[in-house]
Parts: sequence; structure tokens; C-alpha cells
Amino acid sequence: MSLVGDFLTRWRAYRKPGYIYGDEFDGARRDYDEFDYAWTMTIDLDRCTGCEACVTACQAENNIPIVGATAFAKGRQMQWIRIERYWEGEYPNAKLGFIPMLCQHCDAAPCETVCPVSATYHNQDGLNAQVYNRCIGTRSCAVYCPYEVRYFNYNNPVWDAPLAEQLNPDVTVREKGVMEKCTFCIQRIRQAKDHAKDDGRRRVRDGEVQPACVQTCPAEALIFGDRKDPESRVSISMNDPRAYRVLEELNTDPSVIYLKKVDDNAG
Amino acid sequence: MSGIDRRDFLKLVGAGGVGAGAGFMLAESIKHPVEHLIPYVVPPEEFSPGIATWYNTVCSMCSAGCGISVRTREGRAKKIEGNPAHPVSQGRLCAHGQAGLQVLYNPDRLTSPLLRTGGRESGDLIPITWEDGLSQVAERLSALRASGQGNGVCFLSEGVRGHLATLFELFMEQLGSDRLLHYDFAHPQTLYAAIDRLFGEQHLPYYDLRNTRYLLSFGADYLGSWISPVHHGLGFGHSRQGRDDVRGRFVQIEPRMSLSGAAADEWIAANPGTEGILALGLAKHIVDEGGYQGADRDAWAAALAPYTTAAVADQTGIPAATITRLADTFAGTQPSLAIGGGAAGNHGNGVDTLIAVNALNYLVGNLGQEGGLVFNPEPVVGQGSNARQASYRSMLELAEDARQGRIGVLIVNQTNPVFTLPAAAGFKAALAEIPLIVSLSSFMDETSAMADLILPSHSYLESWGDDFPEPGVGFSAGAVSQPVVSPLYNTRSTGDIILGLAQKLGFGAALPWPSMEEYLQDGWRKIHARGATNVDAESFEAFWIDVVKAGVWGENTRRETRSFTVDSSVIDSIGVEAPQFSGSSDDYPFILHPYLSIALHDGRGANLPWMQELPDPMTSVVYGSWVEMNPTTAEELGLTEGDLVEIESPHGRIAAPVYVYPAIMPNVIAMPIGQGHSEYGRYAKDRGANPIEILSPQMEPLTGSLAWSATRVRIIPTGRQVELLKTGGVSRELGREIIQTTGADQNAGGLAALHSIPITVVPT
Repeated sequence: MSLVGDFLTRWRAYRKPGYIYGDEFDGARRDYDEFDYAWTMTIDLDRCTGCEACVTACQAENNIPIVGATAFAKGRQMQWIRIERYWEGEYPNAKLGFIPMLCQHCDAAPCETVCPVSATYHNQDGLNAQVYNRCIGTRSCAVYCPYEVRYFNYNNPVWDAPLAEQLNPDVTVREKGVMEKCTFCIQRIRQAKDHAKDDGRRRVRDGEVQPACVQTCPAEALIFGDRKDPESRVSISMNDPRAYRVLEELNTDPSVIYLKKVDDNAG
Repeated sequence: MSGIDRRDFLKLVGAGGVGAGAGFMLAESIKHPVEHLIPYVVPPEEFSPGIATWYNTVCSMCSAGCGISVRTREGRAKKIEGNPAHPVSQGRLCAHGQAGLQVLYNPDRLTSPLLRTGGRESGDLIPITWEDGLSQVAERLSALRASGQGNGVCFLSEGVRGHLATLFELFMEQLGSDRLLHYDFAHPQTLYAAIDRLFGEQHLPYYDLRNTRYLLSFGADYLGSWISPVHHGLGFGHSRQGRDDVRGRFVQIEPRMSLSGAAADEWIAANPGTEGILALGLAKHIVDEGGYQGADRDAWAAALAPYTTAAVADQTGIPAATITRLADTFAGTQPSLAIGGGAAGNHGNGVDTLIAVNALNYLVGNLGQEGGLVFNPEPVVGQGSNARQASYRSMLELAEDARQGRIGVLIVNQTNPVFTLPAAAGFKAALAEIPLIVSLSSFMDETSAMADLILPSHSYLESWGDDFPEPGVGFSAGAVSQPVVSPLYNTRSTGDIILGLAQKLGFGAALPWPSMEEYLQDGWRKIHARGATNVDAESFEAFWIDVVKAGVWGENTRRETRSFTVDSSVIDSIGVEAPQFSGSSDDYPFILHPYLSIALHDGRGANLPWMQELPDPMTSVVYGSWVEMNPTTAEELGLTEGDLVEIESPHGRIAAPVYVYPAIMPNVIAMPIGQGHSEYGRYAKDRGANPIEILSPQMEPLTGSLAWSATRVRIIPTGRQVELLKTGGVSRELGREIIQTTGADQNAGGLAALHSIPITVVPT
């Protein structure tokens, strides 16, 4: 096999979710054959009201610092999940649409290939993960991310005493110069896996893991689960005819699937 | 090892052991605060290091009364979630509720009793002991009581329910004062009055959004700030996609698109204050078309006669075709539901408007129906939310009494009228006439800044209490709130402060309880005796533990649906006057539409950094105030985003930058309430402007509540530009198809079952 052919096949394999190497690579390095879990979130835009409960829940769960007005003016705010809003039409027919935007945990993530130090990578659960203490802060991943959901720590976080008492001990506090992003609340996933193991089960049951945003959503717009389980709530909802992925044409293969808003204005 | 921290210990070791120089080095080491290396040699009994403990309690961030579960680790509160068993929140929570942790751990909390020395403007606050503080208050109270002037004591509290409310009643009764007032800016007083007049009910009904098929909301921002947003959010989600065969349809009628307006299928701007006229126009059409067949049909037809479609179209500015379509759909889609509130209820015709809106429910038979309007049982404890609520008129009376020297002592509990009353009320100046003002606030807000003595309360996460949500959920439900962490500071719970004062005043047998916890238990013994509850326990001790642990208590019985006809005198008097605005439309061309901020509520959330940095859902603006205007209005005035303008009413002037808002009527300008604090801690102080300040002191005549949507203003450009802090840049999709929509025919609806599966979340 030629070097080029070898490289292309390897590249394709690398870009394919689960890192499944082809048969011609018998004996080659295998990271893992497939995901243990494929964590997925569906967001029903017909339920979402844009109330932003998810935003604060995420900040509380993941120790995301408040940057202050000065840094905010420079566009340095950090909200792993945010609500985007788009106006359509003009008065009196103006409409406002909301969409929660968070790391899409793409299976072909542009941010992963660009990191010079492999600080961002795909883990065995299909999560797009960030290794904070490997990150050297080139911010290339943020440039490559088409969803703009990566946030850079321009400053060391500050919590006026005693606000730091609230910090979640299960989540590290990131320092200046490090990129961070939504983890699908990986600490909760780990906890659920440990719990399953202690229980003598091999797998986490559907519904056992709820990221903070999913748990708090008053309209129950968010569903989280393992799409490898065909019976899971997320599998059922992602197969709804209303399902779509944002910027699908980029072939990033996101793990966040949106359900279209229903426009009921025939009557 | 006290006195030496780890670093110092290593230094000592590095210096060659603890020898001759140790004395000096020890002296050096204690210059630093003491840090213990191993804090849990003898671990506390309440928790295991590394393992989270959950406590169920009640959220007090607004008056909805959501049940919450607080995750604690090593004695610190870490995260607040909704309590899945509680019927109001059902495991869900809003942004404001999530931020409760920043009330508890707020850097600007008052940490001990404070006494003002010198004058109110100039004097310093010095820390004193509780003994001293309580004695000083008790001395003044007993002096007044002894001289028969007990009524000179006024107790002004935030809206409280349950046993804290009854404790206040008992205390004031003993003092011989009837000046017990609850004051919340956003209390829906006109809705209570409308429900009382129309249905003869003293308590708000339960609006069943969850099962409705068609909702007409007249100005009620039910998803953002109206009464119980989390519960309404649950209902909204279920109504949309929780039933396979039907998708609920929502129509919002308001002059400025709110969060609920954005979620609605149809947003309709009626002229401000004419929402009730529109409701009567719909009612007339429904009665005329035979949609109502009650015996008193003729009385209704006569009362509604003036509200012809043409006349209503003329007054509301809504096309006649839209009016008939709304009426036909409302009557033809069962169950349907009409709700009213927010700006629609805050005009001079507010009560009449809300009577008109709720009459729609009566006419099409939504009362007592699933998906309609369900009446609530009597409150389990006390008289409910509305009994003691102070209207704007009673606050003016209080101010007048203060000026006349009839108030000797004012005790203020967690309410901030100096901020939430218009400047025209003259409340702040009146406070200056009161000889002794005692504040029980946890923060130095604008009202506490006037106080002579501050006896700071615990935060709600450190206190015992209980709450019975109002409106209820169609059956009696409530919850005990328990402390989830030990008190951080030298503060006391409000109940304990009152009981402490009662002891000093020698109220003895009338208020014999040594602590709030015991008073609460005593009260819950009666609830235990009611039986038929979700908690099945023989002994009270077991019942109490179960209720506290579950964080919820509910009765298994629903109230009987009573059938009735609306009183004929009410039908005859039905009608909505055209709204009155203060100021002439020539001098003040715009109608000011102030609205409750989703993050900051009525201003109480402004000291929470999470809430300050939470983008407003509609505009994405953070850290400040703004004034919303229609694009055509802005163009006519030559204004663009960020232009600083002054907003002047006949009663004052404030400044804020312009935000060009696509969904607001051209003659209306809107401002969020919540910013513009002159006190209230580092995060709130000197940020933005408070639109309440410039409101006209107009009242709804029946209730005396402030008509806070009835002020006219003019816009004066300053020529200055400020940067409006907000997220995102482009407000349009520009063909990117980020938010995709589909026709109703593509809505397969097969997801209903997903939300009926009970979820067990692993406790982390």
C-alpha cells in the first residue's frame, strides 16, 4: 500500500466516529473499536421558551466564572450554553426564535484536528473532551468551531469571598490561558457510571444521567441519553421527523440534535 | 497544630528543626490566618467528606413557592435543583431560582446586627450584639404599648405565607397594632380583585395550561415573570408536544412582545390598556354566535351590547377579522383558556380588564374543566397571599401617617419600598419622619439604608419555614423549608427575631415558642391531624420527619367543582373604560411600558452576579438598563442602538441607551425593571436606571393598586453614545437556517410518551 493511500485511509478512519480502523489495518493501533456510549442531546425548539434557566444551571454546575462588565464588553463572557435569538419579519409581524447553543460534540469535530497539542479529543463515550492542563491556549479550536461554543479564559477567575463556597468540588476550576467548553456534565456521567458499577450493572440506565441544563429546563425541551440504546428517550426523539442538525452542510456530525419548531400559522 | 499552617511547618523543617529560633518563627507564622491542614480529624456527623447530601426545601426568590432540592457537600450548598416531588416545580427551576446560592454566599450580606450612630444621612453603622439590638427594639415597642400607642408600630414585610405569616399576625395582635402590611411590587392585586368580583373567590384559581388546547393571554408574561413561571413552563411544554394528537396553540396580546409573546403562535399588539375591551369584544361575538347558552344569556347580551366588533376594532386597533377569528377559535376549541395579567392588569381599568378576560372562561365553559380554570381550596394556614398585601394606596396612607407622626416604629422585613415605589409617592421623605426604623433585611438595600437599627435575617437557605404556594395547583399542597447549611454569619431567622422580641416584651403565653422551628412543628401538628395526606404516618414525629425529608406535603382530595352562575349585578356592571394616561399626548407622545426583568425580577435579583451577567432573553443585554423602541420610531427620532436618551414623564426623568426592538408598538417604549439601585451591594449599585421612579401615581380605583403601565413619557436625545453590552452580533439568520421550522402537518407528535417516563437521577 502506498504511503498516500495509507495516509488517506488512516485519515478517514480517524475522522470516522469511534475510530474504527478498516480491515487493511489489521494489527494497527486501535484506540477503541466503537464508543462505549454515544451521549446525545435532543433539543425540542417547539418546547423551548428561551427562559435561560439552562444558562444559570450550567454556570452553577460547572464553576463558570462571571467575567464582569469590562471583560464582557470585549466579548470575553463564558456561557457553555447560551440562548441565541434571531428575529424574523418586521412589526407587526415580527417573530423571535430562540435556540440553545452549546458544544455540539461533533463526531467529526473541526476543533479536534486543529489542536497542536491534542488538548481536545474524542473520548470513548463519543464526547468532545478538553484536557485543560494540556491546553496551551492557541485558541485555534475556537476559530475552527463553526458553532462558536468554545470559551477562552482571558483572566484567572475571581470569586468575591465567600462566593467560592458554592463551587462544585467535582469540577475543576480553569485558569487563565485555557480553553473550555460544555462537557455534557462529564462529572455526572462518571458518577452514573460508578453508580452502575457499584450496582453490579455494566451500563448506565436511560435517564440516570441528566446534565444540569437538561435537569432544570422548565419546559422539558432537552432530552439527554445514549443513542446506542435504541430504546432510550434520546434515540426515539432523534428519529422524529422534526429532527435536524444545525449547519448540517458542514458534515461535522453533531451529537446535539434539534427538533424543528412547529409553525402553526395556517389558521 | 493550631497556629502553624502547612507552609510554615515546612519552613520550620527547612530551617533545621524546631529549635532555638522557633519562638520567633512561630510568631512570624501566626501573622497569617490560621489554616488547618486536616480539617476532619473528627468528621462532623451530618455528612461524609466527598459524598453529597441533599436537602429539600422551598425557594423564596419569588412568590411562586417552588419546591427545591439543594445539593450540599462538606456543609456547603453547591447546587439548587427543582424538587421532582413538588407539584409546582416538578424537578425544574428557573434561572432566578438557580441563583439562590448567590443570595446565601453573597459577599455583600449583612453579617451582624448594626446600630446607626449619628444622623441617618451621615451616621456610621456599628456592630452590636443581638441581645443589645433586640433590647433596644423591645424597649421602644413596650414604651409605645404601655402608653396605648401600640398601633404606632408598623410591620412591613415582603409577601410571606404559611406559619411565618401567622407568627407576624400573632405578634402584631399582642402589640395591639393592625398595621401589618405585606408589600410586593409585582403582587397581582387586580387579579385577586377580579376573581373575587366575578367568581366570589378570595384566592387565585389554577390555570391549567398543561391540558389546554388554545390559550389567549392578555398581557400575562406567564413564561417569564407572571405568578409561577416554572410551573407555566412545564404546562407550556406539555401542551405543545406532550400529547400525541394535539398541539396547544398560544396567542399573546400585549403592546410589547414578552418572552411568552415570542413563544406564542400569534402575537397581537392591542393599544395599551384596551386588552379588556378586546376581551369583551370576543365575549360579545361568542354570545351573539350562540357560543353561550346559559339562562342569563340575555343579561350578558345586554351588558356586552356596546362592544360590537367594529367598535372594539376601532378602540383596540386590531382588525375586525382577527377579533372574530379569535372569538370563534376560542369558543370552538375546547378546552380553551383565557388568562390576563402583567401590563393589562396594571392600568386604571385593570380590575375590569381582568374581569372581562376571566369572563371569557365562564362563557365558553372552561370553569372546573381539565385544561381550563380550576378553583383552589382555602389556604391550609393563614389567610393566603392577598389578605395583608398593601396596595399603592395603603402605602401612601402609611407615608401620610408617618408624616403626621403616627408611626413610632417601622419594622421592615425583606421588602424594599424605597426602590419599588415611584418617587411621586414621597415614601423616602416620609420615612425620615419615623423615629425608629428597624430593618430585618439580609442586604443593605435602599430601605435598609434609612434604618436606624438592622437586625439581619438569615437567608432562606438557613431558615426554618414553610410555604403553601398560591395559586395552588388545584389541591392543597405545601412544603416545609429547612436550613440546608449552618448559618454563615451572626444573623437570625426572621421568625426567631420576632419570637426573640416577643420574649423580651413578655408576651409569654401568647407566643410561648422558643424558636421558629418549634412554632412550625406546633403548627404542623394541626396539619397532621387533618389526615388524608400524601404522607402516611401515625405519630407526629414520623410525619414531621417524612414531610421535611420529602420537601412536599399534599392532600389527596381535590376540591369539588362548584357550579354557579355569575351574579346578575356583576353582569350588568361589566364593562371596560378606555385607559387613562397621565400627561397629554402632545407633550408626552409615548406610553411607557415597564416590565419585570426575567433575571432581576422587581430589582431583588440585581445583587446576584449570575443574574447581572445573564443576557436578557429578548435583547441579550447584560449589566444595565435600556429603552426599547420600534425601528420606525427610532428612525423618526434619528436614534440608533446605544444612543443615550432621557425618558421624561410628568414626574421625573431617567436616562438609558436605546435598543431598537422589532416587536413593540410605535407609540410605546419599554423598559425593564430591576436596575438603577443606589444601594444593594457592589453588583447592583449605580448600574442603569429604575423606571419605577418616574411612574405617575395613578391608581386602579377599586384596589388602589398602582397603575404602572399608565404613564406617558417623552424622549429627549442627549447626543451621547454608550456601549450596550450584549451577546451576539447579527440578529437575523441571513439564510443560515439555524432555527428551522416545519408546518403543523409535519408535526408527527409521537414524543408524548418520552416525558411520562419517570426519571431517576443518580444523586451525585
